[in-house]
Amino acid sequence: MQPASSPALRIDGLTKTYRLGLTGRVTRQALHPLDLEVRRGEIFGYLGPNGSGKTTTLKVLMGLVRADAGTVEVLGLPLADPAWRRRAGYLPEHPYFYDYLTPAEYLGYAGRLLGLETGLMAARSEELLRLVGLSDSRDVPMRRFSKGMVQRLGLAQALLNDPEIVFLDEPMSGLDPIGRHMVRNIILGLRERGKTVFFSTHILPDAETLCDRLALLRAGRLLKVGRLDEILAIDISHFEVLCTGGGAAAREAAAAAGAGAAREMGERWRVEIGEPALAALVSAVAAAGARVLGVQPVRESLEEYFFREMGGDTARDPWTLAD
Amino acid sequence: MDAGRLTRIAAVAANTHREAVRERVLYNLVFFAIVMILSGLLLGQLSIRQDEKIIKDIGLAAMDVFGTLIGVFLGVSLMSKEIERRSLYPLLAKPLSREEFLAGKFLGLSFTLLVNVTVMALGLYATLLATGRGADPALLKAVLPIYQGLVLVVAIAVLFSTVASSALAAVGTVCVVVAGRYSDVVRNMRDVVPDAPTWLIEGLYYAMPNFRNFDFKNRVVYGDPVGWNDLGFVTVYWLLYLALTLGAAAAAFRSRDFH
Ligand SMILES: Nc1ncnc2c1ncn2[C@@H]1O[C@H](COP(=O)(O)OP(=O)(O)OP(=O)(O)O)[C@@H](O)[C@H]1O
Ligand SMILES: [Mg+2]
Repeated sequence: MQPASSPALRIDGLTKTYRLGLTGRVTRQALHPLDLEVRRGEIFGYLGPNGSGKTTTLKVLMGLVRADAGTVEVLGLPLADPAWRRRAGYLPEHPYFYDYLTPAEYLGYAGRLLGLETGLMAARSEELLRLVGLSDSRDVPMRRFSKGMVQRLGLAQALLNDPEIVFLDEPMSGLDPIGRHMVRNIILGLRERGKTVFFSTHILPDAETLCDRLALLRAGRLLKVGRLDEILAIDISHFEVLCTGGGAAAREAAAAAGAGAAREMGERWRVEIGEPALAALVSAVAAAGARVLGVQPVRESLEEYFFREMGGDTARDPWTLAD
Repeated sequence: MDAGRLTRIAAVAANTHREAVRERVLYNLVFFAIVMILSGLLLGQLSIRQDEKIIKDIGLAAMDVFGTLIGVFLGVSLMSKEIERRSLYPLLAKPLSREEFLAGKFLGLSFTLLVNVTVMALGLYATLLATGRGADPALLKAVLPIYQGLVLVVAIAVLFSTVASSALAAVGTVCVVVAGRYSDVVRNMRDVVPDAPTWLIEGLYYAMPNFRNFDFKNRVVYGDPVGWNDLGFVTVYWLLYLALTLGAAAAAFRSRDFH
């Protein structure tokens, strides 16, 4: 038994270069030495633009692609030790699970590979099919499935062995709003039960609301790792003031105090102001008959951060010729 | 070998067979049945002594040809589909080693071919009985080596599919099977390419499995006795090539990346 204090996932100096063509002269370094640690019981988001190396990282972890260098430990065990695979789950990107099988049959197959006892497995798969909303289609061959239904089954098979750590490559892809909500709830439910979730995504609001910590990847290099509030700059020199009522007079008073144009949101309106003029603005709008509902430091969203850091990065042609 | 390993190999084999059945690739049996019924009907009218031999001849040849076609097709398609459609990815993330997957795939395919050959053999016997001839048990001495040859075809198809795309794998498998059936062509290559070095010709000749070794059709049909030592020799030869082919497939499969 390894100590429970070992991280759920530890990656040290992971490197991967793809070679293209018969001679392998065209190369693409998908991962530059990458170091990462994921703690037990956390939801970890793995973010980055298209082609930044998210799927490559996950494929190396799952043993589908061999890294050039680096070491990986999952649940305290070396990557090559098959024992951790019994306690892990994986949802690949754009999964495919045999047209000719039904979800119930596929889960039966997966369960035998996982070494699950038959009775337990049957109960688990019924429960999971209900969880992902496929109970009604449990005996329908998957050639009749929509993309989102396949994705749902992918999630179910990743959870079949009640894994301690789950690796999800874009779990929300192809799902309708209800499906996305379901995935968010599943991920939160896993954390509640002490499981570790490592997932890649492009959906920034999801990453923002779900993740305990996240990593931002750009062109195979880690740009930032940490909690959301550590990554996003909080600009305490600017504030946002939320008001209601007061009519045109209050808005004019706000402008006179140095705020930009007010943004109307139904009953309410919002202005931004620099820190030195904040107190004056608050009393001026109050005097003009408005009620101040709140004052907040201006905080960047993950999306704004993403655009600031990654904007213009994706257009670069990453292929190089090896010598 | 632990029990878990056997369970996993059996699970992959069972799913492979299930795929072959569900994807309706066993329709070749319908063609075989048609060939047998037609030959029975055509020859039913005649009553010369030769006709029994003709039915046996046609039956065994059809078994060999349809079996080989289905072996190439099944071996290549069921193996490359797993890689090209990526159904392999979630499986390999589970405690299933690449060697276990390969073993299961190969065993599943071999089982499907066994079902195939059994049904065809029963069809041949049924035709003989239906046209008033005896069920000659000696036929099995030709059927068994045919099956061994088909299993080797499947192993070659699996080997090619682990390293190449499905189209290339199909071409490669067909080339080896044809060269192995007409291995004299390889030996007589000098007539076409006079400058070809002897070692290359000899090397190719011995590297290719000689599928003629599995052909007992004429001897069985024309009553030339086939001894157990003949079948034993073929079995040793078969196991040797099977081990080499599957060993190469395992080595190639182990070291490749799945993009
Ligand atoms: N099979 C392959 N052969 C060559 N290069 C590859 C291969 N797969 C990926 N790459 C390259 O590796 C880099 C990382 O790709 P990867 O699929 O890991 O990105 P990703 O972050 O998952 O992108 P996305 O958000 O689009 O899924 C890309 O530049 C890509 O071109
Ligand atoms: Mg990806």
